[in-house]
Amino acid sequence: MLRIKWFLILLASLFLIPGEGSAIPAFAKKYGFNCNMCHTAFAKLNDFGQRYRDNGYQIPGQAGGEKSIFETPPPIALRAMTGVTLYDGPDGTTSGFNIFGFDLLAAGVLHKDISFLLIYTPRIDEPAGSWQGPENSANPGQMGALEAVNLVFSNVIQDVLNLRVGKFEPGYHPFSSKRKYQLFTPYEVYAFTAPFQSYNFDDNQIGVEASGHFRSGLKYSLGLLNGTGANPDNNTAKDLYGALSQTFGKGDGQSAGQRIGLFGYYGWQPAKITGNLIAPTGETAGSDNAAFYRFGVDASLNWQTLNLQALYMLGQDDKKLNALDHTQAFKYSGGLVQLDWAGLANNRLVASALYNWVKPPDYNLINKVNTIALLTRYYLGDWSAVNVSLHAEFQHRQTGELRKVKENLGALALDFAF
Amino acid sequence: MTRSMWLVVCIFLILPVLLLAQEQAIPPLTALNIHIPGPQKIAPLPPVVVPPDNPQTALKIQLGKQLYFDTRLSQDNTISCASCHNPALGWSDEGPTSLGINGQRGGRRAPPVSNAAYLPLQFWDGRAPSLEEQAKGPIANPVEMGNTHEVMIRTVDHIPGYVEEFKTVFGTDHITLDQIAQAIAAYERTVVTTDSPFDRYVRGDDGALTPLEKEGLAVFNGKGHCTACHWGGNFSDGRFHNLGVKPSASGKEDLGRYEISKNEQDKGAFKTPTVRDAARRPPYLHDGSEKSLESLVEFYNRGGDVRSATLDPLLVPLGLTQHEKKALVAFMARAMNSTNPEVAAVKPPAAAEMPK
Repeated sequence: MLRIKWFLILLASLFLIPGEGSAIPAFAKKYGFNCNMCHTAFAKLNDFGQRYRDNGYQIPGQAGGEKSIFETPPPIALRAMTGVTLYDGPDGTTSGFNIFGFDLLAAGVLHKDISFLLIYTPRIDEPAGSWQGPENSANPGQMGALEAVNLVFSNVIQDVLNLRVGKFEPGYHPFSSKRKYQLFTPYEVYAFTAPFQSYNFDDNQIGVEASGHFRSGLKYSLGLLNGTGANPDNNTAKDLYGALSQTFGKGDGQSAGQRIGLFGYYGWQPAKITGNLIAPTGETAGSDNAAFYRFGVDASLNWQTLNLQALYMLGQDDKKLNALDHTQAFKYSGGLVQLDWAGLANNRLVASALYNWVKPPDYNLINKVNTIALLTRYYLGDWSAVNVSLHAEFQHRQTGELRKVKENLGALALDFAF
Repeated sequence: MTRSMWLVVCIFLILPVLLLAQEQAIPPLTALNIHIPGPQKIAPLPPVVVPPDNPQTALKIQLGKQLYFDTRLSQDNTISCASCHNPALGWSDEGPTSLGINGQRGGRRAPPVSNAAYLPLQFWDGRAPSLEEQAKGPIANPVEMGNTHEVMIRTVDHIPGYVEEFKTVFGTDHITLDQIAQAIAAYERTVVTTDSPFDRYVRGDDGALTPLEKEGLAVFNGKGHCTACHWGGNFSDGRFHNLGVKPSASGKEDLGRYEISKNEQDKGAFKTPTVRDAARRPPYLHDGSEKSLESLVEFYNRGGDVRSATLDPLLVPLGLTQHEKKALVAFMARAMNSTNPEVAAVKPPAAAEMPK
């Protein structure tokens, strides 16, 4: 009870912080822009922000004159999330203050039409990832990882061809899982993996991507990847993907205009991994490659400050990759529907409702997922290069079919970046 | 060796040749645009840069002011620089486009002279590389002052008061077109904002802006996307953008910057004007098609009107609420208005002060 009281005092004091301030960091620090220039509300990009990203972190329509990272303050930013959760699951109820994540980001222009992005998530030992505690040093709350490190070669052909090389968020994600409002609810259909499959649709991937857009509103991306996230590839076949979208009306479908799209991924995984041939770069030889694919359709519709996003995806892994039943392919489907709203001056209040589902095959219904998430975020100010938001999220998650497991999670967090 | 390994070897053999060929086509680093001024933070204006071949002197500035307000430079003694770039009308005119001699109406609005000294190129299409070159243009434009340079020089050369002043300022017996342009440009370089509520606010006077104007500034620098072009001390990138303005009622298309550059991408693109003192010079856009700040904000809020092949990618609908629009207008309506007398309180020289 005392803890709740202190938390309420802390909460109340946050609302008393005056809504003015000055600031620093990465892109916004470079230009002195407020965050709303590129974000409908942090972290979701608006159309301008999307075009800025597509243009290799150079302001679209402003050819030339972009300062390189050598002419600007250090292009480094931090993001951290901390707060309290209340969890209610089949085994009981828990709650606790926690650190939910910490990112180090660096990005900028190296030279005209050559830019980079680096996101590093350091390992966090305390608090530990589970009750076993940090003392065994194998139980971090966050794994150390290079979430992204890539070079972007923009305008190889003006607007039409841009190249991204390294580890990046692939263009087959119609909706970014890295820049959404939800902090505690993944896009389940992205995060779902077939049993014992190493490919994860949600992961950033290592490879090369070509992307571009046309004046007609058509956008594309094509890529060649390992398809194994951060893990070494274990076959010589590379995975392929493509995405196409068309925007109707003005805008890019992020915050204005109406966008529809389709995406597809075709990959190969070895059904057998011999493990007896390891390259200097870590790859293990595999054989008997079998195919898997993901494809789907998506739409993003906008009206005033309402944004409705919807996605439906089908996945299939070859029977050789189906660890549960080698006589048939593993087929599943899933999707999401999300409604985002922004209000108050400069979108300082947002609300979002997300419904997520995954329907695996009948013999794997234990992994069937349905999730509903509701959230609201209040931004303490509309500042340049500083973002502090108070985040409240509720999630109801239901897994399984015959014996349903129901979980509820409530979270209050501070999400700040500077 | 496997076939794929042979492929890799071939790529490594061919790549250096391709790179060498490409290297020939790449201009040296210093020639690339990355080193020209890019996006700048909004801030008070720095001191004006004066070209070394036209240093500022008090007498030259005074002479320039007399010429600026002198209708005798025009063919029929009715139009001066100030007729279209009127200090009382925000250094522009009533619009929607400018009126020249014999009541002729031009196709574009008069760009403001105030703070023009900070722009690298002059005119809506950037056809003049300096204030000096700009000053020569309207004199000989048949729709504006309708004169010829030769006749105008003869006229000025026959006014003893001017002859004496030019001799004092330039030390020569004969007046030249360049001298006239230099004097006018020298005067125009004094028409710069050194003070406004916005400048006082960023210098630390928190009370210089009202709460609503502060909200407007936040919209200007964020959700409104204004600073994506209206950046730096002059609130202008000095570059050219196609905003998706509707063609005029006559249907005649104004190709803007394209007329000068002949670059397809410049079709319909016009120079970004300063936002400073904008409230004093409605209507807006290069053709004066937006009558008020309110309608101008609505124009940007809907992402322009015409979606053409060269529409600037910076133009996207903004989704501004009524309150945000009101705040943005409030910011531009007062906070950007110059309060220093060089911009805000300039009167034409009295008749007795004009050279005879």
